[in-house]
Amino acid sequence: MDMVENNPAEFQRVPVRDGLLAGDLRRLDGVRLAGTRCHSCGEVSLGQNQVCLNCGGDQVSHVSLSDRGMLWSYTIVRNRPPGDYKGPDPFKPFGIGLVELPDGIRVMSPLDVEISDVQIGMPLQFRAFVQHVDAEHHEVIAFKFTGVA
Amino acid sequence: MPEVVIVGAGIHPFGRFKDKSYEEIGAFAAKQALNDAGVAWSDIQSAYCSRMYLPATSGARILRRLGSTTIPICDIEAACASGGAALRQAILAINSGEIDLALVLGVEKMPRGFMDPSMIYSPWQIQMGMSMNPAYWSMRAKRHMYEFGTTDLQIAKVAYKNHRNSVHNENAMYRKPFSIEEILSSPMVMDPIRLLEICAANDGAAAVVVASKERARRIGGKHINIAACSQTLAQYSADFRCPADSLSATANNMGPTEFTSNQAFERAGIGADDVDCFEVQDTDAFCEVEIYEQLGLCPLGEAGRLIDEGQTEIGGRYPVNMSGGLISKGEPVGASHLGQVVEIVSQLRSQSGERQVEGAKVGLAHVLGAGGNCAVTILKV
Ligand SMILES: [Zn+2]
Repeated sequence: MDMVENNPAEFQRVPVRDGLLAGDLRRLDGVRLAGTRCHSCGEVSLGQNQVCLNCGGDQVSHVSLSDRGMLWSYTIVRNRPPGDYKGPDPFKPFGIGLVELPDGIRVMSPLDVEISDVQIGMPLQFRAFVQHVDAEHHEVIAFKFTGVA
Repeated sequence: MPEVVIVGAGIHPFGRFKDKSYEEIGAFAAKQALNDAGVAWSDIQSAYCSRMYLPATSGARILRRLGSTTIPICDIEAACASGGAALRQAILAINSGEIDLALVLGVEKMPRGFMDPSMIYSPWQIQMGMSMNPAYWSMRAKRHMYEFGTTDLQIAKVAYKNHRNSVHNENAMYRKPFSIEEILSSPMVMDPIRLLEICAANDGAAAVVVASKERARRIGGKHINIAACSQTLAQYSADFRCPADSLSATANNMGPTEFTSNQAFERAGIGADDVDCFEVQDTDAFCEVEIYEQLGLCPLGEAGRLIDEGQTEIGGRYPVNMSGGLISKGEPVGASHLGQVVEIVSQLRSQSGERQVEGAKVGLAHVLGAGGNCAVTILKV
């Protein structure tokens, strides 16, 4: 799957949300979740933020979050999510969970793991992928966590 | 702090009323509260309308049906805590001394099934399939089960209790008892939460008339004291609820239910053990389980035992959701907290019939929802 992922973009690529991903989107292997580390309180928040979401301090660094984590909790989505869901059609049940990263943050993510195999504590691997092509013909890059072989 | 009291309460049943507008439903509850108080609409000096999914100036559109007025009517929204937010505004206005009689109305008319996710979620969360509220509740349940050994059966027992209580509540939507087997074999909505363990969005309204103690004395009748009405927003990473996209693994802040109820208990000068009856946010059965711990009815991790021992049933040490809770009443978001308040008023007036908690003198109502919005109201005879 995802044959085009590492080809230089024929389409321009954009992150599913501004500031959510770090790295060159043309090389998905190197893409990571972006984070913000606060110099005052030490908290790490998701995405590139201008201030710390905990203390409001503006002495922050933008960092790349670890691409390995552990499943902290999860549930199984058994019905097609409402609205503009871009997952497979026809719908296939999938897990979503909070993945705990060594950076000190748990991130909500879809899980690319067989639903009967999902369990708390399992190791997981970050993966950026082309989710869909938007109305401006941009490839939209989203993320998921997959099992570790 | 000057005391504010409830002099009248009204409710329109919670359910699905295809042929009724929200104006009709809301006006019904408002009128009933005014009649119960024995005051005229023209006596009210300020009105607050709690709603989330209705159009702008819903309060004014509804209350226009009671006669023209020039008083300020404001719509108030704080997700599931909207009703607490509205009640609090009325209390603050009365305490300011500017007014001494106010109407607080909660009303909602909602679509069936999943709500429009763009009300709560960002486009990227919707695209990635992370835009269903029950997913967030379910992950809390899974983690609690993992850490403390809470079981599917214990969660089902909460739904069993609430459905059973609702049989005696003429204002609830379902009013049907279900066996534990029926609950556990109902379709899985989001693991581990099942269909008969989850509340449905619906229509409904509830209202109270509140007054200063002095004004209430002149009105006469049996009044219910508002001992506290607290509204807070969850501290940083203290709660994982929609539409959160992450949670700190290092922050250790007190959760919103504990934080808000602590504030309310302090203001009321009482503790959880002094409360005779509770109405709490059972958006799903697990939600009620964790609230037992967060309100201090039992230590962390022991909520399963509390339900096993039947302590939260009517007749138990801590009766919870005598009305049947949101699981059986449904959750018309803007009306849900005021619906709880109306139930507590009825309990404290000993008017609850088959679901009456014997000798109830103190009651607590709790709501918690999107974004970590939380409200706790404590009422006393
Ligand atoms: Zn900080």
